[in-house]
Amino acid sequence: MTTTGGLEAIAARAEAEIAAAPDEAALDALRVRYVGRREGEITAALKELPKLPAAERPVYGAAANAARARIEAALEARAGAIRAAALERDLGAEATDLTLPPRRVRVGRYHPITQTIREITRIFAGMGFEAVEGPEVEWDYYNFEALNIPPGHPARDKFNTLWIAQEASVAMAVAAAGAGRPRAQSSSTQPMLLRTHTSPMQIRTMEQRRPPVRIVVPGRCFRFEATDTTHESVFFQLEGLAIDEQLSMADLKGVLYSFARQLFGGDRKVRFRPDYFPFTEPSAEIAFDCFVCDGSGRTNEGGCRTCGATGWIEIAGCGMVHPEALRRVGYDPAKYQGFAWGGGVERIAMLLTGTPDIRLFHQNDLRYLESV
Amino acid sequence: MPVSWLREHVDVAVSVDELAERLHMAGIEVERVERAGGAAGWDRIWVGVVEALAKHPNADKLLLATVRYGDERRKTVVTGATNLAEGAVVAYAETGATLRDPHGTGTFVLEPKKMRGIVSEGMVLSERELGIGEDHEGIKLLDPSLPVGARLADVLGETVIAFELPPSRPDALSVAGIARETSAIFGVPVRPPVLEPLTWALDPKRLTVRIEDDRACPRFAAAYLEGVRIGPSPAWMQQRLVAAGMRPISNVVDITNYVMLELGQPLHAYDAERLAGRALVARLARSSETLRTLDGIDRILRPSDLVIADEQRALGLAGVMGGEDSEIRETTTQIALECASFESLRIRRTTEAHGLQGSSGSAAARRFGLDLSPELVPIALARAVRLLRDHAGATLVGATDVYPRPRPTPNVRLRFSDLARVLGAEISPEEAGDALHRLGFTHAEHGDHLVVAPPSVRTDIAIPEDVVEEVARIVGYDRIPVRMPTGVLPLHERHPREELRERARDVLVGFGLQETISYALIDPAWLGRLTPDGSPIAPAPLRVANPTTAQQSVLRPTLRASLLDTAARNLRHRHGIGIFEISPVYLQRPDDLPDERWTIGILLAGDAEPVREGETWLVGERRWDWHDILGMTRGLADALHLGPFDDQTRRAAPGLHPSGSFSLQHAGRTAFTLGQLDPRVADLWELPRETYVAEIDLASLLAVAVRPRAVVPVRYPAARRDIAFVVAEDVPWADVQREIEAAAGKAGLEGLALRDVYRGPQAGEGKKSFAVRVVFRSPTATLSDAEVDRATSRIEGRLRHRFGAMTRG
Repeated sequence: MTTTGGLEAIAARAEAEIAAAPDEAALDALRVRYVGRREGEITAALKELPKLPAAERPVYGAAANAARARIEAALEARAGAIRAAALERDLGAEATDLTLPPRRVRVGRYHPITQTIREITRIFAGMGFEAVEGPEVEWDYYNFEALNIPPGHPARDKFNTLWIAQEASVAMAVAAAGAGRPRAQSSSTQPMLLRTHTSPMQIRTMEQRRPPVRIVVPGRCFRFEATDTTHESVFFQLEGLAIDEQLSMADLKGVLYSFARQLFGGDRKVRFRPDYFPFTEPSAEIAFDCFVCDGSGRTNEGGCRTCGATGWIEIAGCGMVHPEALRRVGYDPAKYQGFAWGGGVERIAMLLTGTPDIRLFHQNDLRYLESV
Repeated sequence: MPVSWLREHVDVAVSVDELAERLHMAGIEVERVERAGGAAGWDRIWVGVVEALAKHPNADKLLLATVRYGDERRKTVVTGATNLAEGAVVAYAETGATLRDPHGTGTFVLEPKKMRGIVSEGMVLSERELGIGEDHEGIKLLDPSLPVGARLADVLGETVIAFELPPSRPDALSVAGIARETSAIFGVPVRPPVLEPLTWALDPKRLTVRIEDDRACPRFAAAYLEGVRIGPSPAWMQQRLVAAGMRPISNVVDITNYVMLELGQPLHAYDAERLAGRALVARLARSSETLRTLDGIDRILRPSDLVIADEQRALGLAGVMGGEDSEIRETTTQIALECASFESLRIRRTTEAHGLQGSSGSAAARRFGLDLSPELVPIALARAVRLLRDHAGATLVGATDVYPRPRPTPNVRLRFSDLARVLGAEISPEEAGDALHRLGFTHAEHGDHLVVAPPSVRTDIAIPEDVVEEVARIVGYDRIPVRMPTGVLPLHERHPREELRERARDVLVGFGLQETISYALIDPAWLGRLTPDGSPIAPAPLRVANPTTAQQSVLRPTLRASLLDTAARNLRHRHGIGIFEISPVYLQRPDDLPDERWTIGILLAGDAEPVREGETWLVGERRWDWHDILGMTRGLADALHLGPFDDQTRRAAPGLHPSGSFSLQHAGRTAFTLGQLDPRVADLWELPRETYVAEIDLASLLAVAVRPRAVVPVRYPAARRDIAFVVAEDVPWADVQREIEAAAGKAGLEGLALRDVYRGPQAGEGKKSFAVRVVFRSPTATLSDAEVDRATSRIEGRLRHRFGAMTRG
């Protein structure tokens, strides 16, 4: 039978041993030895309680509980100290080599054409222009005739069209017209072609909607073209169209000015130069002052390469929609007018990324694609 | 166009650069300015005279030449040339001059150079260094009358401006046309060329002119000249023709070409004595009529071809190319000079049909192919007669002009408000009137508008917008202000297909795949290499009638060939690839535009890991496999919230591995194809065995896309049980999964995860073991152990019953 004094001695011994315990395992062993449910010394002492005379029981019980509390507090304190010391060791330990490469994550990228189309359409969306898309294989009517370029119009020569081989009557007419540029004459079947520009969607959209109209049209186009660093037979264009009662060339300049600021940054200038397109009148070619040399034509290394030392970057064609094109879709040119513009997506992507050769876009060499 | 010729027609005292810039900015597009001496323009090159010549003290073959190139400017150059003498006039280049590299195609900048101890201060130049010829043997000796000290560019050589004009401006395809533009831009007068006054009288015994179809030939004038002496044309004329890119032939032919370049109106000269019936007739070709043209080719004419004929036979394709028979010869003394106006569309069709776009006559055909004004006809004829008189000894006998239905000059009503309406710029009526006046337009003011008549040569002006553009060109497009549009914003529509497509792009990029965009036009031979036996995997493609090359001659009916090609080309320089493309494929439809079916194509080939070549640090080496391609497509479906396709029948996927692929249909069309590429096809493309593709029809995805339904997290705990059981090898997982789901019953099966598939001695021959974890959770209560155990037993019993599955401990 342990005395109350004995209990205190046990507690004191336990405290000393606990304070000396080197790690959590030793601490666990001490916990079992002193306060363990089955074998613990204090537990064993408490089991003696019923054997005591009733009068002694409260004193003895209180002493046992006090001893247990002392031991448990000591265990907890020591456990905390051991954890703190371990953490201290970890934090101060020799660090891993932080210059080692990471666990590499597979990174996917958008094709630069996708990036550029998204960027441009996002900018124009902010000005109220809705992105619409249309067929890449088109009727002659939408690609040419409705745009004021009837069969035989000299402007057709500029478009170097790729024609779809059609069966029966059309194929015969195509063959009869010679190898160079087949031109079907059949009225029953229309000639089909690969659209040479995104402008057919001007007509298709206006046929479907009433003014006001504000759209942009990104899309794939095709030309019969010898390829070189700036020409491709398959390429992307982005077209814009706005029709309302009061729109003028000044508004067109404003829209393109805002676009240039957002795309190229800085306070870009917009320059219009007279140009010719059968479906706009007046027509213009759009240039922005160069975002690399700020329009000076010169950089620290000499003549600016981005703009060919001219200070201007020619980017698209534009103009006021020809009254004849409006009339054809049933818009009254006395009431409605508007503007349209269109340019190459790759040209912008080349400027923004420093891509030197347009053929890189369709070659899909991942060494290039992963760089942009 | 040689600049000196232009200056003869308009007196404008500005530099060539400013002239070119101003024309360019007024819509007369300058393609390039070609200077004598190339791009550097003979900068720092002078006319010099050799004042003294001495032997080089240290070299036998070198000379010291003292060159004076100004009153008091002298330099000594070292030269090895043998053709110099004192007093010779030469081209002298100062240090710093840019010269053509005589041994290559580039240029170099001249620097002081020490030769055998003596510094050469500049150079005297050969023809080749000047860029005016190929001779590099000796120094180019110049005309001794040239002023010593003058800039070489000022006294020798011709600066040429090349224009790129729109088809609407045939009037500007001439020196006089550019002069008119220059005059309008700079406000200086034009100097019209000297014309021979013509009286319209011609003895029909000499020549008659007849138009049979006045739509095809609205105007036909001719002059009859005699006493012609054929010979070379004057040197100045030949030089201008050469500068403009034409070959001098003889005085008569050169004069017709000269007038064409000068005024824009082509002419044609005939040997008058060889005209049957002394007639020139403009008529359509007769059926099966033939003609031997100047290029020596016998042509069968089409009934829609316009010809110039005499009373017996066709003499030439009108406006396109003359015939051999009536050609001017050395012995010709009497000529009939044709100057006419033709229907432009017919000329273009004839030119194309006979393949004459690039021929020697194309300069004329190109002009006649545009809407050239008939008013040029009498002017050009009078100019040509004048030159024939001056330079070919010709005497005018008479002239005639047949013009049955003169073309009316349009009057355009331009309201003053039109300028602000179209341009958004404030331009005063006076300013507009001045611009029009300078362009040669006549105008009369009527209250709020002008009645405007363009000059007769301008056939492109018809509507007020045309006149607005003319005014704007002259006052300058810079006058148009920058303004943001106002007005009602239109309602926008949604584009679900495009939205889903862009989300798919985002998801696949998020999976770490690289997006590609490849040619929509492909090589038809590719389509025969998509299956081991060459049978097609897609309908016959649309063909291009006039492809640029066979490699781009059909529109792709599948993305697969493009993906395989892209992979094969990239795997030459890397070990693994994971790419996707979203583009339309083109499927024929009868009597309609093709179905442009937007398709998602995914390809995985070779190494999946490491991501960067050789970087096996922290990751192993792993090839792409079936589970990757399945995972990508499943992940795409999860990300896009797709429901199931209506047809779950797994069909064979042609061109893919017969037992490692399948396709699914939705609404009767193939929605989805995926699997391993057939190894035999992989071999054809030199691709690894581990090549996996998926092709997904975007419209089918759109059809099964659902709005996501919110899941509210349940607050009761889940209970998990791991089960392992052995089934026969031929039992597919999908069947097991279905049975487990069916058996779980009311306990609430929240998740079922496959943890392992084991084959080996512990499973037994012809068997496999699935290890799965089932997760139960009730939305309404905490499940008791007993409930969970019961559900687990139900599952095990069901598996035993259906598959004879033995549960493993």
